[in-house]
Amino acid sequence: MIRIIALREATALFRSPLAWSVLAMAQFVLAFQFLAQIETYLHFADKLRKMPEAPGVTEVIMTPTIGVSAVLMLFFIPVITMSSLSTERRSGTLALLYSSPVTSWQIVAGKYLGISALLAVLWVIVALMPLTLAWGAAIDFGLYLAGLLALFLLMSTYAAVGLMFSAMFAHSSVAAIMTFGVLSGLWLIDWATRLGQDVTLFNYLSSLNHFQRLAHGMLVTTDLAYFMIIIASTLYLTTWRLDGDRKPL
Amino acid sequence: MLVSKNPGVNAGFKIPGAPLGKRPTLANNVAPMVDDPLLRAQNLIRYYHGRQVLHGIDLELHRGEVLGFLGPNGAGKSTTMNILSGVLAPHQGRVSICGHDMTQHPRLAKGQLGYLPEVPPLYLDATVDEYLQYCAGLRGLDRSQAAAAMVKSKKECDLTSVGSRLIRNLSKGFRQRVGIAQALLHGPQVVILDEPTSGLDPNQIRAVRATILALTQNHAVILSTHVLSEVQALCSRVAILHHGRIAFNQRIDQTPDAMQIHLAGAAPGLQWDQVAGVRNGESLGNGRYRLEVTDFDAAADAVTRLAVEQNLALRELSRDASPLEQVFVDLTCNDESDFA
Repeated sequence: MIRIIALREATALFRSPLAWSVLAMAQFVLAFQFLAQIETYLHFADKLRKMPEAPGVTEVIMTPTIGVSAVLMLFFIPVITMSSLSTERRSGTLALLYSSPVTSWQIVAGKYLGISALLAVLWVIVALMPLTLAWGAAIDFGLYLAGLLALFLLMSTYAAVGLMFSAMFAHSSVAAIMTFGVLSGLWLIDWATRLGQDVTLFNYLSSLNHFQRLAHGMLVTTDLAYFMIIIASTLYLTTWRLDGDRKPL
Repeated sequence: MLVSKNPGVNAGFKIPGAPLGKRPTLANNVAPMVDDPLLRAQNLIRYYHGRQVLHGIDLELHRGEVLGFLGPNGAGKSTTMNILSGVLAPHQGRVSICGHDMTQHPRLAKGQLGYLPEVPPLYLDATVDEYLQYCAGLRGLDRSQAAAAMVKSKKECDLTSVGSRLIRNLSKGFRQRVGIAQALLHGPQVVILDEPTSGLDPNQIRAVRATILALTQNHAVILSTHVLSEVQALCSRVAILHHGRIAFNQRIDQTPDAMQIHLAGAAPGLQWDQVAGVRNGESLGNGRYRLEVTDFDAAADAVTRLAVEQNLALRELSRDASPLEQVFVDLTCNDESDFA
């Protein structure tokens, strides 16, 4: 059942021009960033060669590219997830799901996996481009994979938050704005600490902190747990929201 | 003078829109009923924002029955149908489909249910085949079952020629039929259709009605509509919902019957309730009367005799086209709160 809903969601996404324009823009912006990063590396290559323990290609080119793609996801993912459930609500197709022998959890899981299929393509685009460096340079695969894992967790988290807002609002644009607001809020929440105030809670809540540690190759359980907790709780809230449509409040 | 002792078989009457004789219901060829109802709703209560919209709805539906579900806008029809189909849960009361409780065993109950909401739940970016394939999957049919079910339901709804067309490009009538096809796809015992003919042209309405008629052999059907003639043409039972209560629930062949007559000549002080088969009568002016009858044939005979005895010319005698309309109006009209 989950597979059927996921398949339908993925098909609908790939049929919309939105998915292709997101993929095209992501490719364009990342290629630009990637080439700029290569330029930077070549510019400093001589100096770097003389430095003891100098940062390698992976650190100078790959990690920043993954960092930029993380920022791009802040804009792209709300647009991808916004209509997932809100359009079903507006067009009345939720009634089809509700009157079928399908649980709310199956609907949410199906939708989430369907969105993940498009995000997987987006993730592969990010992953493949820096990999081309492997032809001419030594790549630190540990760091590279850590960066990709960080991006994967971040994208999964964003998708879950986006799906939740899509379940909450019948207007997809409202869902997108809310998703973008919350995600950028989480990204920037530790700015207060940069002004000299040490607020541990804000540090912990900041997705940027968790992402950066992972992207720089530090695999910490707290960071993994942070993303997992957000994914699990937002998916639970989405299910709860769909149940709330049917159950008396 | 057009009159007959047996109006039921005389085709010579002037008929203002209504067929004669046995009323064209399915009550006459309903399949034998079994004791257990396919759908049972007990004491359904639902609130919206603190306002009670359903006040204890009780309904039962047996195999072969077609229930016409009537009511003014805002009476709670769609809420009731949403609850019956598991889209909404009631605050109180229970629904069971084929003996499966909707709350405790939703999967079993919904597996026996086909639902067409007021707005057909269609994905415009899919073709008819893709859409039906998806619906079959949602209902748990495997690939081979789905293929067979799709062929059958497309045939039933006359969609075979449009299987590869995008739903976005179909006319409203076809879209409505795709909506009905998804409701019938998995061979459900109970089919709930919310205003299936609204917004269709007369030809499309005929086609959809024919589809619904074909369903009645093996299913129990609930049909919500505003078109009273549709209820008379299709339904074996009629329920009228008003202010969230079932105000009327009868087999359609037991609903009040009425005739209209036109008597030329003075007919002062006729005591209609004294005439055999007539409950009461009212004058519509110019010698026209509307009689509520308990037995149409007996009343027609008696009125004919009366005309002869009193030397009145009986110019017209016909079945009132709108007995159901009268019931509907009596129950639901002159109610200011409807417009509040």
